[in-house]
Amino acid sequence: MPATSTLDYRKIRQEKIIKTLVNKDLSIQFEDHLENEMILNMGPQHPATHGVLRLLLKLDGESVMQCVPELGYLHRGYEKLAENCSYHEFIPHTDRLDYLSPLMNNTAYVLAVEKLLGIDVPRRTKFIRTIISELARISSHCLFVGSMGMDIGAVTVFLWTFREREKLYDIFENLTGARFTTSYTRIGGLSQDLNPEVLQMMKDFVEQFPEKLNDCEKLLNSNRIFVERTDGVGAISPEDAISIGMTGPNLRATGIEHDMRRVEPYLLYNEFDFDIPTFTGGDCLARYYVRINEMKQSIKILQQALEKIPEGPIHAFEPKKVLPRKERVYTKMEELIQDFMLINYGTEPPVGEIYHAIEGSKGELGFYIQSKGEGQPWRMKIRSPSFCNLQSLPKLVQNSMISDVVAIIGSIDPIMGEADK
Amino acid sequence: MNKFLEKSEIKRLKDLTFWQKLFIPEIFKALKITVKQIFKPSFTIQYPEVKFQKPESFRGSPILVEENGVERCVACGLCSRVCPALAIDVQAAETTLEKERYPEKFEINMLRCIFCGFCEEVCPEEAIIMSSDYELSFTNYNDAIYGKEKLLVPIEKVKERLEFLRKNR
Ligand code: SF4
Ligand code: SF4
Repeated sequence: MPATSTLDYRKIRQEKIIKTLVNKDLSIQFEDHLENEMILNMGPQHPATHGVLRLLLKLDGESVMQCVPELGYLHRGYEKLAENCSYHEFIPHTDRLDYLSPLMNNTAYVLAVEKLLGIDVPRRTKFIRTIISELARISSHCLFVGSMGMDIGAVTVFLWTFREREKLYDIFENLTGARFTTSYTRIGGLSQDLNPEVLQMMKDFVEQFPEKLNDCEKLLNSNRIFVERTDGVGAISPEDAISIGMTGPNLRATGIEHDMRRVEPYLLYNEFDFDIPTFTGGDCLARYYVRINEMKQSIKILQQALEKIPEGPIHAFEPKKVLPRKERVYTKMEELIQDFMLINYGTEPPVGEIYHAIEGSKGELGFYIQSKGEGQPWRMKIRSPSFCNLQSLPKLVQNSMISDVVAIIGSIDPIMGEADK
Repeated sequence: MNKFLEKSEIKRLKDLTFWQKLFIPEIFKALKITVKQIFKPSFTIQYPEVKFQKPESFRGSPILVEENGVERCVACGLCSRVCPALAIDVQAAETTLEKERYPEKFEINMLRCIFCGFCEEVCPEEAIIMSSDYELSFTNYNDAIYGKEKLLVPIEKVKERLEFLRKNR
């Protein structure tokens, strides 16, 4: 018997498959064409889901009956990773949580560690941290306005807000050395001081930004298409929002005035004069307005902070906890030993647990650290606002049209790096 | 300027005027705003042809400082301990020079390195610093692991960065 080559086998198999398919009755019959629901898989690569969010939608015609969000596509295990990093080593990882406002994450993390260690930083550092937090908030909200506009079809605003973000990134680059992965704050201080040129850049930015924001507003606020696609879409009641655990601008859009900067003032927020804008309705339009007004309040805080920023040291004087200055490491024995001890074994905090939250650009961003007195945290939990805000999605999209889903996701402003951790 | 900082009140569909609802005049108004932008200077740079101006604090890829023909590094291993991305591999050996120890092998895996600058921050000898080089590309994995021959840069070429570090750290 002649040996049949693989090619022949393949041919025979193919023919068999085709034959079976031809003989089979493949037509689907519906008795009532409108009775069936459709399951639609949206994401994880859908451009409107802002990263890797996957939604399973049950559709009846064009309206959404049910929605199941699936998170975790960007899970990198940062909470577990923290248990194997010293407190200092974890700082670059925080950049990658909410990658639209890395400076804010840096600040939130070191504030939590400093609370655990009991360090009080100098006043200038507090000022700089306040300033960079507010700049990061503006950068993040700018992206929100741009990307939400683009989701709805207003592409011009997207380009304009990205121009503003570019200016902010120039500032960040000059200040920290990197545009995106800033890793700027340090336990008990900052990686480098704010020099006068950067201060001037910040002042220039604050000077010109309100006008640019106003231009964007002009394009959106009385734009009938924009208003029609957001007004009353994806509304949530204050009670539901609280029970889900929504925080930040999304909560304030329902009329609840809850802001960590007011409720539990950290850094220097109790010294500055600013309002907390709230709106009622809890729909996409209200969420948009909250963020627009928050940017204005941030500018107000920046104006005051940049005026009043004092001179002075930026590092806390805590030799056992804070990395020593470089010129002393080069010349002095004690500091050299300190440098080695701190890096090799890490700062040793007291046994205990703390939670510190700041008002991030998306909501309450908190770090919960449990310490067994070692160089690494025993357990670290990151309370990321995007994760909690996303839980509201099934409620928000229920009974809305499928095209509204895009607007609703845009208006919640989820950052998957933070939601999935 | 402060007039721009007033709270903008929410404008729902019912608050829009008749002309705004008609939409056509609004289109022309919006076009007026956008057409104005055409005459403003362009903000983008044409990247590969035009390079952007790097600030002096810029953190590029890490390099080793070479002084009098040898590296400054004393192979203390602190940089490889602090590296959050575990990119550095140092192996120490003894030498007859004054510094007594030197790195027999010093490798940085540029695929792992995240340009965080921690190695530069902790080095007690000012031996590893961040250059301003950011355009790295490789065609295979082994090319990405930089050994001493690729990392060493004479001290004259990195004066600016050293100056910056002395001033700011
Ligand atoms: S920290 Fe500096 S001296 Fe120590 S091994 Fe690294 S480069 Fe060499
Ligand atoms: S820059 Fe950061 S990641 Fe790169 S080698 Fe230095 S410490 Fe490691």
